[in-house]
Amino acid sequence: MRYHHPELAVGRWQQLSLITQLANIGSEVERAIKWKNARNDEYFTLAFERMLELLDLTIADPKNRKRLKEVVRAREMLVDYLRYDNTYHSTDEQWRKYFNSFAVLSNKRKREEREKNKKRHE
Amino acid sequence: MRGLKQHRRGVIRFFHNPTVRISLAMFILQQPISRDELQQLAEKSYGNLVKAVVDVEKEIIVLDAELHADEEELLLENGSEQEDLWGINLYPSVPDEDFIEFDSMINLRPSFGNSSRGVDDPQIRERIKQIVNRMVTK
Repeated sequence: MRYHHPELAVGRWQQLSLITQLANIGSEVERAIKWKNARNDEYFTLAFERMLELLDLTIADPKNRKRLKEVVRAREMLVDYLRYDNTYHSTDEQWRKYFNSFAVLSNKRKREEREKNKKRHE
Repeated sequence: MRGLKQHRRGVIRFFHNPTVRISLAMFILQQPISRDELQQLAEKSYGNLVKAVVDVEKEIIVLDAELHADEEELLLENGSEQEDLWGINLYPSVPDEDFIEFDSMINLRPSFGNSSRGVDDPQIRERIKQIVNRMVTK
């Protein structure tokens, strides 16, 4: 199997919290939307495949086992939106908002963690 | 966070994330909460929004989880029926018309007639608004 993110596939992805995983998936979703709208099939396909890979690594992550419902639904809806008929009537804006919120929370926690570590070393 | 403890009485679920060593508590709202208090919750998590799931039959709200699916699970464990549960986002600092955002993965239930992540039925949207407006004061 060929991974777009080989280093993440061997376990580093699992060290991230679910929120940070979703924030990173959001970056690939953003790229997929961007290249789809620009009608650049090659770049779209690459971003789409990376997005699926990260979603599948998230679904395979044992710590997320009891919280998979939302991720599995998001995967189904993203594939429907980006590759098929948009049966579920999603929009670019909805996806941006959904994933941006995880990015905000992930960054906030990283900042708090850094501040905590800084205080510990003072 | 002064004043918020009283809202957390009752069912509370903690998620502990060992990677970032942070626990998040979601809770079933026991009594009305103000927009200011909601804003404090938002600032502690997503910045400008608080995720919520509303049971339109029992007229209860769960607040403050990382995922709507977490809140849905808590209500299901407490006797709610899935068809009565709707995920929304509350934006405490925006005007009334945009205060409630009907958008959640858990809303996608084609078998119950809802084929998007929004809330397709205007009557259900209205019920959600009524419950939220009763439980969130200005």
